[in-house]
Amino acid sequence: MRKIVSVLIVLSVFAAVVFAGGEQEKATGTAAEERKLEIFHWWIGPGEREAADEWFKALHAKYPEVEVIENPVAGGGGVSHRVVLQSRLSAGLPPDTFQALGGAELKAYVDGNYLLPLDDLWTELNYRKVIPGPLANTFMFNGHPYGIPLNMHIQNILYYNKDLFNELGLTEPKNFDELMTVAAAIKEAKPDMYPLGLGTKEKWEAAFVLDLIILGEGGPEYYVKLFKGEIDVTKDKIFRTALEKLDKLKPYTYPYHANLTWDQSVSLVVAGDAAMVTMGTWAIGAFLNNKWTPGEDFGALTFPQSPKERYLLFHADSFILPKNSPHPGTVMDFLRVTASPELQIPCDVVQGGLVARIDIDPKVFPDPIRQEMQAYIRDNPTKLILDQHGSIAPASFSSEYWAAIAGFMAEDRPNIDKTLAQIGTLFTTYEVKKDAAWYVWP
Amino acid sequence: MRLSLILTDSQEYLTFLWPCVKMHYTQNGIVVVRRKKTVRSKYTFIEFLIFKFPLMFFVGLLYGMLGWTIVVSFTNWKGTAPNYDFAGFKWYRLMITLDRFHVDVANNLKWLSLGVIPTVILALFIAYLLELGSFRKLESYIRTLILYPVAMSFIVTGTIWSWMLDPDKGVFNTILRGVGLGFLQGRFTTNPSTATYWLILIFVWQYLGFSVIILQSSLRTAELRDMTESALIDGASRLRILLQIIIPNIRSGLLILIALLLISTLKVFDIVYIVTFGGPGTATDVLAFYMLLATFQQHLVSLGAGIGVVIFLIAASIVIPYTIYAFKKWFD
Repeated sequence: MRKIVSVLIVLSVFAAVVFAGGEQEKATGTAAEERKLEIFHWWIGPGEREAADEWFKALHAKYPEVEVIENPVAGGGGVSHRVVLQSRLSAGLPPDTFQALGGAELKAYVDGNYLLPLDDLWTELNYRKVIPGPLANTFMFNGHPYGIPLNMHIQNILYYNKDLFNELGLTEPKNFDELMTVAAAIKEAKPDMYPLGLGTKEKWEAAFVLDLIILGEGGPEYYVKLFKGEIDVTKDKIFRTALEKLDKLKPYTYPYHANLTWDQSVSLVVAGDAAMVTMGTWAIGAFLNNKWTPGEDFGALTFPQSPKERYLLFHADSFILPKNSPHPGTVMDFLRVTASPELQIPCDVVQGGLVARIDIDPKVFPDPIRQEMQAYIRDNPTKLILDQHGSIAPASFSSEYWAAIAGFMAEDRPNIDKTLAQIGTLFTTYEVKKDAAWYVWP
Repeated sequence: MRLSLILTDSQEYLTFLWPCVKMHYTQNGIVVVRRKKTVRSKYTFIEFLIFKFPLMFFVGLLYGMLGWTIVVSFTNWKGTAPNYDFAGFKWYRLMITLDRFHVDVANNLKWLSLGVIPTVILALFIAYLLELGSFRKLESYIRTLILYPVAMSFIVTGTIWSWMLDPDKGVFNTILRGVGLGFLQGRFTTNPSTATYWLILIFVWQYLGFSVIILQSSLRTAELRDMTESALIDGASRLRILLQIIIPNIRSGLLILIALLLISTLKVFDIVYIVTFGGPGTATDVLAFYMLLATFQQHLVSLGAGIGVVIFLIAASIVIPYTIYAFKKWFD
């Protein structure tokens, strides 16, 4: 008898816990919604923290009553963010909204049936018209828009030490051959300096360098086809040439790159240990942190610019509306603010990206580098391609692809055939062709 | 005999949890089969709350998770949303085709052998040296010094060592350059073929002091001291005393130490995460790290669960036979 009683008590305790949770959920879904916004994001690094504060400043300027509950996760857009988010989502307890990259990452959440489409909001804001078409396309899945992009990060940028280039009488390299010439000249004049800085600790950085070469070798159509899995890299000449060229770049590259993160590779340039570095627009923030003035201390150009046309690789941050969000009304208000210039201008100027809206005057940026890029996109919105940085191909492929390229970069005498076979296997194992079919370009 | 206590306890607990369960256990080598006839519980409700409920919670959580991981590894969970369709051995079959998996298993075996054996041997010598008379005065200082690393978390040691091992700005190479021995400079963790060994070195450094303390405590028994003294009078050399008297007599200490080290090297994750993040490429990757990446970065949850099961199987296949062997030896 006593045993039955004790079992009943245990069951009732569990039941109480479970039902209490359920009731709470129900209570928050009522008409008189609390003005609360629980938000997951990863912008807590230097330059990023300030940018995140701009979101809430813009939100409070319009909706002062909203109480923001931040749940930032350290460690960038990488794995630590996903660990927490994944557990919350699969437990059916999503935060009100969270930061997500457009493209494959967003698709993973859409496929998981965690998000609500935002057709009405996009129509209301006429958002498709005010952002570049290729940007809008990376938020369209099964014909519906998900998420509101708030910026654009351009990936294929080569930064260089301007004083050094002036001193040695060098001009900025516009393609791979010029890059090799410039690198050789720097190596000769400054034997202690590494012409190209690099950090591959987080793995994705090496693939950035290869991206520049692939884009120069094959052009934009090839780039898209490659990461959509439509090319057999084991037999393909262009990809092999690109890898060989990457190998040729090694003697000019910082050799201990496996130890450095991306921001440390930027610091190499600031410290005078390296002359150039490839990194996305977010490096501008890192340079600014080191008191380097854009356009004076360092120059930047999207790479390559010749002989083929100039294309910009990009990816974008966004906020989304999850299903079962406890405060959907507040989230919608926040998304409206996210789409507005009042949020995008201060946030993106501080963080180092470009603004998503092309109706914003490029002059809002204090530096000539971003003014020029933003103006270029305004005039040529179709010259944007979604990059491979967590975007076209599924994450299962990208993560392993980065590791393969980083490993290739770290080997003194890499076996190109083996690397090609390895990457070829990745494309088939992780079914890139199937999972990247959503991407339409141009 | 704490380990054996725990064993008896768990047996008690088992009877305690399922009073009607048919119990098999050994008494002085004879298997006893006993069926409990009386199902009446001897415990009051308060006792139940205090003892039984936390235990059930613990057992449920630990073994429930273990069971759940095994279940998930046979499902088809790929992507962000759970998918419990049965997929058989699909992910295990994929796993053995992956280059990365082979690198990981090889690295884990390196950790198991090179993380444990040198640590035990070094610790044995240091403990013995400290016990020798000539070091008495210095002993307490040295002991504090070698115990420091244990007090630090892997995050701290990892960060410090990655600063020391940095080939460009790190302490070691700077010193070598400074004294004109620049040709001896190493690439340390940035060289794919040797990086894992440098990580294991960090582990050995961190666990050495701890191992010394455990062995020292087993060295300090009156019997052992008597034996050592009489051996000395008989004219045995110090080394011979160590090999033929001390080692056979501190088996219990060695057993616990080796078991602890085996477990620590099997679950190694933090050093790899902090110092190299699995790099260069995948050169220092280990199973535990790949499990995290597969589950949360690649969104291949079933594959991640499968890797977890593999870690569990490796651990079981090493630790269980070892413990059985050691217990047999111990209770000879």
